[in-house]
Amino acid sequence: MAELGRAALIVSLGLALYAALAGFWAARTRKRRLADSAGNALLAALGATAVAAAVLLSALIRHDFSFTYVADHTSTELPLGYSVSAFWGGQEGSLLLWLLVLTGYGAAAVLLNRRRAPDLVAWTVPVLAGIASFFAFLLVAVASPFATQNAPAQGAGLNPSLQNPYMLAHPPLLYLGYVGLTVPFAFGMGALLAGRTDERWIVATRRWTLFAWTALGVGQLLGAHWAYVEVGWGGYYAWDPVENAALMPWLAATAFLHSVMIQEKRGMLKVWNMLLVILAFGLSLFGTFLTRSGVVNSIHSFTQSSIGPWFLGFICAVVAFALALVFWRLPLLRSKTRLESLVSREATFLYNNLLLVALCLTILWGVAFPILSELVKGESRTVGRPYYDFFLRTFGLPLLLLMGIGPLVAWRRASLRALRRTFVWPAGVAVAVGILLLALGAGSSAPGLIAYTFSAFVLASVTLEFVRGTRAAGSFTQLVSRNRRRYGGYVVHAAIVLLAVGIAGSSAYGSSSERRLTPGQTMKVGRYTLAYRSVAQRRGPNDLEVRAAVDVYRGRTLIGHVHPGKNTYFAEQQVSNEMAIRTDWLRAEDLDVITDQIDPNGTIYFKALVKPLVNFIWLAGVVFLFGSVVALWPDAREQRRLVSRYALPTPAEA
Amino acid sequence: MQRRGNPARLVIALSVATVLAIFLLYTSIAAQGTPSLQPSQLPGHHGRVTLGGKVVGPVAGNAHDTPLRFRLRDRNGTVTVPVSYRGTVPDMFKVDREVAVDGALVNGVFVAKANTLVTKCPSKYTTKKS
Repeated sequence: MAELGRAALIVSLGLALYAALAGFWAARTRKRRLADSAGNALLAALGATAVAAAVLLSALIRHDFSFTYVADHTSTELPLGYSVSAFWGGQEGSLLLWLLVLTGYGAAAVLLNRRRAPDLVAWTVPVLAGIASFFAFLLVAVASPFATQNAPAQGAGLNPSLQNPYMLAHPPLLYLGYVGLTVPFAFGMGALLAGRTDERWIVATRRWTLFAWTALGVGQLLGAHWAYVEVGWGGYYAWDPVENAALMPWLAATAFLHSVMIQEKRGMLKVWNMLLVILAFGLSLFGTFLTRSGVVNSIHSFTQSSIGPWFLGFICAVVAFALALVFWRLPLLRSKTRLESLVSREATFLYNNLLLVALCLTILWGVAFPILSELVKGESRTVGRPYYDFFLRTFGLPLLLLMGIGPLVAWRRASLRALRRTFVWPAGVAVAVGILLLALGAGSSAPGLIAYTFSAFVLASVTLEFVRGTRAAGSFTQLVSRNRRRYGGYVVHAAIVLLAVGIAGSSAYGSSSERRLTPGQTMKVGRYTLAYRSVAQRRGPNDLEVRAAVDVYRGRTLIGHVHPGKNTYFAEQQVSNEMAIRTDWLRAEDLDVITDQIDPNGTIYFKALVKPLVNFIWLAGVVFLFGSVVALWPDAREQRRLVSRYALPTPAEA
Repeated sequence: MQRRGNPARLVIALSVATVLAIFLLYTSIAAQGTPSLQPSQLPGHHGRVTLGGKVVGPVAGNAHDTPLRFRLRDRNGTVTVPVSYRGTVPDMFKVDREVAVDGALVNGVFVAKANTLVTKCPSKYTTKKS
């Protein structure tokens, strides 16, 4: 079986290389049939990669320990779902998933666009195939998932932290996001190579970018929720380089999604959009490099691996190639129009872009700081949470405010009089909410109070937009169906507000307490009293589970029971903290109880945290997904408009 | 295309300059970073550092009533330093595992800041031991 997997990968590499070279030649010499053949080779590469993936999946499910990868990442005691998730639990498997997703995206992009924009696709295929060739080469020559050995009786098992339902969805979603950014990048480069720098590449890739961005966003929120419920430390984001690796391309893609609208509407920011798509794709590669090279310290610790230098070389080559292309095509990237006023929709988009890119680059600086300080001073230094928190507040709060201002400002030029009339309601609501919160004691955290006030402003402005639009359109459904992207975008803005409220609430207004308790003793945290009753243990399918029984009181009223504890996994010989969470749905507040240390005599060192409004963060994920689906939903009316605007006869038709 | 006298360019340039100024000011005043060192690099450093290395036993204390005491060794070396730590001990903390902890060297003992001990997740993307 391993031979089949190896052969499939070699075939995939061959097809990708053919697609890259033949595609390049075909595009250069305008040979339509050869270009079609290159596109077909990319489709076939998907088939070959799917065979390789099926071989690995089958070995994982069968626990075939003659595959080194299977023995290193599963055990016979591992439940089926986690045996499947071990596919992306290690380096080689996750690289194979990357190639599978990449060839999948490539095939779909070719199939959907080859008739609509053949000249653009002709140049896009070699770019996509070139990137696929790199990953196929890594899998064939550097990190093969099909290395074999004499099968041991038992495998090493999967890291207990990864034995969680979230791990079935979180990594694949991140890959859909990371790899999805390849499509707009490849089309952007294809447009430059073809010399077609109008808006067609943006129109062709708009949904791809939106899909990748949605997957990356939802994937990160799932990861945060996993960290919160599974890692057992009561937090959800630690500004760790590996977490930042996913956040940075998401921020760059967010800027890109906004700035392409200016190019579509006003023909401006063409160079900027190219740079953003290069930044987003470059950062998705950099994130992969970061997690596999061991160049920076991370709690996730993906220490020295053999593919780090390959990735670094590839990133340098890709960025140099892309920037050279942009420089070469600068004369074609001139704006059709210019910014007419600093108070206009496009200007607020521009400010939003500056802030998003500034936030993205300051995070990049923080991540790269250990490497840079080592190079310059000979001593590796790291920046911590205060650095990231400072810039999140400094750039994030104005961004939040802009989300409320942007949608209400007119394109091209807005008069002060119109602005006053438009903003009177949202500003009034924000001031009223601010005063109310101040009276309720929210002034203990200035950033928290500002975040809440700005959030009220954004929600009021989004509501106003919906109300005004519904009045004009006649009905709410008519309004949304007429411009799904716009109103889906507003729903996403509401999700970001929920996220901001959740982050501000749980970080600025939380409380915590820790104490050693023997059965019968109590401790207080916030408005809660915890009474430790007893401890018990039971054997699970692949672990020993110890749980404490704790009663939760508010005042003198018993409101529930929680059972925090620890699991000891046999095969992996590791212990995992199992935090207990009690949610107060009315207040969107969590009480988290952690057993920091369990002594054999039943004494437990408890840690308890109260996280106000933390559930708004998870609710934001649902709203975010809903808004993205609304924006992504096919829109026949828009499609007709775009076809009449951009579709040109193909050479054959001409 | 008329480019002269465009106020947009001025304001955008000023916005970029403001962002850069905030960044440079903050990084020069507050965010010099914490040095990441291994035990052999500790002598001569008196301020706060992040110490990384492998745990050497015996491990004593429970990190709450009595400090957790162990030694840290260079990742690829023999130099060790005694460490004293209080606070949450990660699940995966054990002898020979790679950890990082913040603190400062006091009279030959690395006194760690509470709740800063992190262990490294061992199973993902690591090179195999031959």
